[in-house]
Amino acid sequence: MRGGFRNTVERLDRPSAYYLNRNNKKNRRNDRNNRDEKDGDTEMANNQQPEEPPEDPLKNATTLYVGNLSFYTTEEQVYDLFSKCGEIKRLIMGLDRFNKTPCGFCFVEYYTHQDALDCLKYVGGTKLDERIIRTDLDPGFEEGRQYGRGKSGGQVRDEYRDDFDEGRGGLGRAIQQTERLRESEKNRDSEQEMREDYGRLR
Amino acid sequence: MADYDRRQGGRGGGGYNRKRRYRDDDESDHRPQRRRYNEPPLHVRIRKQLLTLAESPLRRWHEEIQTTAHMVADNYDKEEVRTNFLELVPQIVVEQPLKTPFVAAVVLVANSLKPEVTTDVLARIAPLAEEKIKLGEWRDVKLYLKLLACLQSCLEGDGLFPVLEELFNRAVELQTSNSDDTIGTELVKIILLTIPYVMAAGSSQAQQKAADLMDKTDVIASEPHALQVLIDPHHAEKGEDSPTANSSLIGLLQKQLQNEAVNGWELKCLPRPWQMPLEEIELQEKMENAQKHPLPAIAIPETVVTGPRPLFPEIYMSVYANQEVESVPPVTNVAASLIRDGLLDTINIMDFNRNVTARYLIDVDCYFADGTFVKRATPFDRLRDIDGGRSTWKPEDVAVDAVFSQLFQLPSPEHKLVYYHSVLTEACKLAPAAIAPSLGRAIRYAYHNIHQLDLELGYRFLDWFTHHLSNFGFMWKWTEWADDVELPDIHPCKAFIIGALDKEIRLSFAQRIKGTLPPPYQVLIGPEKEQDTPDFKYNNEHTPFSAEGKELAQLLKRKATDEEIQPVIARIHAAALEQSIDPLVSSTDVFMTAICWVGSKSLSHVLACIERTKDRLLDVGAASEAARLQIITSVISYWSAQPGVAIVIIEKLLNYSIITPGAVIDWALVSGKAGPGGEALSKSWVFELVLNTVVKVTGRVRQVLTSGVADGASDTEVSAMRELFKSMDDALVSWAEGTKDQMMDPAEPMDGLGGKRVELVQRWGERWLRVFRRRSAIEEAHMLATKQ
Repeated sequence: MRGGFRNTVERLDRPSAYYLNRNNKKNRRNDRNNRDEKDGDTEMANNQQPEEPPEDPLKNATTLYVGNLSFYTTEEQVYDLFSKCGEIKRLIMGLDRFNKTPCGFCFVEYYTHQDALDCLKYVGGTKLDERIIRTDLDPGFEEGRQYGRGKSGGQVRDEYRDDFDEGRGGLGRAIQQTERLRESEKNRDSEQEMREDYGRLR
Repeated sequence: MADYDRRQGGRGGGGYNRKRRYRDDDESDHRPQRRRYNEPPLHVRIRKQLLTLAESPLRRWHEEIQTTAHMVADNYDKEEVRTNFLELVPQIVVEQPLKTPFVAAVVLVANSLKPEVTTDVLARIAPLAEEKIKLGEWRDVKLYLKLLACLQSCLEGDGLFPVLEELFNRAVELQTSNSDDTIGTELVKIILLTIPYVMAAGSSQAQQKAADLMDKTDVIASEPHALQVLIDPHHAEKGEDSPTANSSLIGLLQKQLQNEAVNGWELKCLPRPWQMPLEEIELQEKMENAQKHPLPAIAIPETVVTGPRPLFPEIYMSVYANQEVESVPPVTNVAASLIRDGLLDTINIMDFNRNVTARYLIDVDCYFADGTFVKRATPFDRLRDIDGGRSTWKPEDVAVDAVFSQLFQLPSPEHKLVYYHSVLTEACKLAPAAIAPSLGRAIRYAYHNIHQLDLELGYRFLDWFTHHLSNFGFMWKWTEWADDVELPDIHPCKAFIIGALDKEIRLSFAQRIKGTLPPPYQVLIGPEKEQDTPDFKYNNEHTPFSAEGKELAQLLKRKATDEEIQPVIARIHAAALEQSIDPLVSSTDVFMTAICWVGSKSLSHVLACIERTKDRLLDVGAASEAARLQIITSVISYWSAQPGVAIVIIEKLLNYSIITPGAVIDWALVSGKAGPGGEALSKSWVFELVLNTVVKVTGRVRQVLTSGVADGASDTEVSAMRELFKSMDDALVSWAEGTKDQMMDPAEPMDGLGGKRVELVQRWGERWLRVFRRRSAIEEAHMLATKQ
C-alpha cells in the first residue's frame, strides 16, 4: 500500500517513522556494502537485470512492538487490553538483560495480520496501566530481542532520561549512577569529617 | 523526521550545515524571509482546499467554495489540476462524506464557469456508482448517489430519479420473492436517504417525483422486517414492549420524509452551500442558468448481490431518548436519520484514523445548516432555558449517540468494538468538558436500562465502560449507585457493578481500583483480590492429598519428567479408590491445581508449564467428561478471585484441545460449579467465558467453510457447532422456564430477595437464551449464504 493509493487523511496502521528510518539506514548501509563488493563487470551484469524490490517484511506482520509500558505492568494486563483486537498467539515481555525483570516493553503476536493492524489503529496511543503506550508493526520476534539493549540492561531510552518516571524506575540509569557516585562521595566526605570530629572529641 | 534525514544525509555538500546558513550570513544579506518559502503547486493547493472545505467553525462556506471553484475552473486546462481534481472528488465523497454537499457546491460553481468540469465529474462518478452496485458495496453506492443528488440542479430532465426508481424495482422483486430478503431493505434505505439531498438541491418540480417514489417505498418501509426482533437492542421483559419495537430505520425514515413532504421539504438541518448569500445574486443567477448535463447511464444488473458485508435491517437507537428536554433530534424528525447517517458513514469509513473521526464528532455542527444545534458544550441543564422554537440539540449528544448506536448494533458493528471505544476516548481527550457530561448521561441510560438491554450488549457496555475509565484515571461518580451495592449479587445492576470492578482490576490492580471507590464499595474488593498469587490449597495439611499436592508442585517446579510424576498420581488413584471417590477426578484436581500454582507468577509461566505437561493433560481430557470438567474447575477455583486469568488459561487449554467447547458450556451452564442455583448466569465473567468459547467455535467453522474444502472436515465442524448450540439451548431453556433441577433442588438456597429469586434467575436464562439463539441463527444464515 505504501506509495500507490493514498487516503485523504493519514492512516494510523503504517509502520512508524522510527521503523522506516532504521530500515532506510540499514538499506543504505547495505547498498553501500554491495557497491563496494561489486566491480565494474558485475555491476554491468547487474544493471541488465534490475533487482526486484525486496519484499516488505511487514507485509504480513502479525507482531507488534509495544513500548512505554510501566515496569510494573503485568502480562495479564497486556493480555486483557490487547485481546480486544483478537486472540493473542504469543506475548513476550521485554526484560532487563541482567536482572531478568520487566523493563517496559513487550512483543504481542496475533494470529492474523489484520488483528495487528487493528491494534495499531485502535490501541496504539491509548492508555494501559495509566500510561500512553506506543505500538509499532514488527517483522517478528527473534530470540535475544526480549532484552533491553541499554548499557545497564534496560532499554536505551532509560539510560539518559533526565525526567523522573516512577513507572520506569525513576531517573535515567546513567544519571542515577552518577548521582549515586556523587552521593557516596559525599557520604565518604562526611564520614571522613565525622571521623575527624570523633578524633577531636577524643 | 524530514529534518533528521537531511542532517544525516549530508547531501548539502561536505558537512555544510543548512541550519546555520542565515545566522552565518553577514548583514549585507537582505533577502526577504518570504523568499525561502516556495508556494506548493496549484494542484496541491486545490487538494488542500477541497480537503478542508467547511472544516473551519467560522463557516465561510461561500468564500471557500468560490475560491476553490475558481482555482479549478481557471486552471482546468492544466493536466495536473484536472486529473488530481477528478481523482480527488470521488475519493472525498466516499472517505469524508459529511463534506459531500460542499464538494458538490464547488462543482456547481465551477459549472457556471466551465461546464466541462461537471461533464467530467459526472463521467467519473457514474461508472464508479455502477461498479459498486455490481459489487454490492452499498455504502459506496449510497455515497456516490448522494453527490449526484446534490448535483440534481445541474442535471437534465428528472436527474437522479430514474436511477432511484430502477433501484426500487430491484427491491420490489427481491422482497416479493423472499420476505427475509435484506438487500431490498438496504436499497430502500439508500433511496430514502438520497431523496432528501435531491430535494434540498433540486427544484420544486421534483416534489411530484419524490411523492410518487415514496408512495412505492411505503409498502416495503412500513412493513416490519422478519429479522427485526432478532436484532432489537432491547430485550423487553415479559408483557412489556421494547422501547425500540417500532424503530426500524427505514420505517422511521419513510414517516419522517412524509412529514417533510407535507411541509414542503423544508429539510432544515441540511446544508445548502450552493445557495449564495444575497450579495452574490449575480453568481446565483449564473449558476441557475449554467449548462445542464445528462446523467450518464448507470446500469443496474438484473440480480443484485449482498456484497462483502452481510446485510441486516437496522434499528434506530438513542441513548438520549425520553429526556425531559430534547438534546438530540426526535425520531419523528428527519434530522435524526440524516445526521446519524452522515456520522455513521464517517465513523465507519475513518476507522484508519480515529483522531480524524473524533475531530468530525466534535465538529459535527460545521457540516449542517445554521441553527441545527445549540452552541457547543452547552450544559444539559441550560437547554431548558432556550426560547421556544430554537433547537436544543447538543452536538456532543448527537455525536456520542451515533457511536453508542454502533456499540449497541446487533448482530455486530462494522469494526471491532475496541475501535468505537477508541473513538470515544479520543473525542473525550479533544473536548473533555463537552463530551464527558454527555458520556455520563449515556452511561446512566445504559445502567438504568441494563435489565432490558440485550445481554450481549450489556456485556459490551461493561467492556466499554471499564476500558474507557482505564483511559481516564478510573474516575467515575460511583456514589450515585452506592445504594445498589446493597442489592443481591444476582440483580442486574449489582451484577454490573461486580463485573465492572473485576474488569477494572484486570486492566489495573486491586489496590488502585479500591482507591477510586467510595466506602460502600470497599467490601466488594476483598483481600483475596489484592493477593498477587492465590494460595495453594495443598499447602494446608488438612486438604486431602496435601502431601501429594506439594510433591507434584515440587516436581513441576524442577521440570521433572512424566516418569517421576506418574508414581505420585498413582498414589492418589490408589487412595481415592479406597475412599471410593473418582480416582482420575481426584488426581486431576491435584495435578491441575499444582500447575496453576507453579505457573502463578505470570501467564508465560503457566502456559510453559501446560506446554510441558500437555501430553498428560491431553490424556486426562480424553479420558472422561468428569475429568474435563475437573480441569476447568481446578483452574477456575484456583483463580476464583481473578477470573480474567482463568479465562485466558481456559482459552489456551481449548487451543490445545485438552478440553472441549462442550465441556466449557457444560461447566458454566449445567454443572452448577460456576455458582449455585443459577447464580452463574448473572456473572459477567461466566458470560465472557461462554461467549469467547462460542466465538472460537463459530470462527473456526467460518474459516473452514471459506477455505472452500468441501471435505468431511467442514461437516464435522458444522455438526459439532450445531450440537454445541443445541446443548446450550437445552440448558438455557430449563433455566428460563424454571424447570432446571437445581432450581427445584430444595438444598439450593432459593429464598431471599422477597421470593423474587426464581424470577430473576429465569430472566437471566431468557436473556442468555436470546443471545445464543441469535448467534446460532446468524451462523445458519451465514452457512446458507456461503453455500450459495
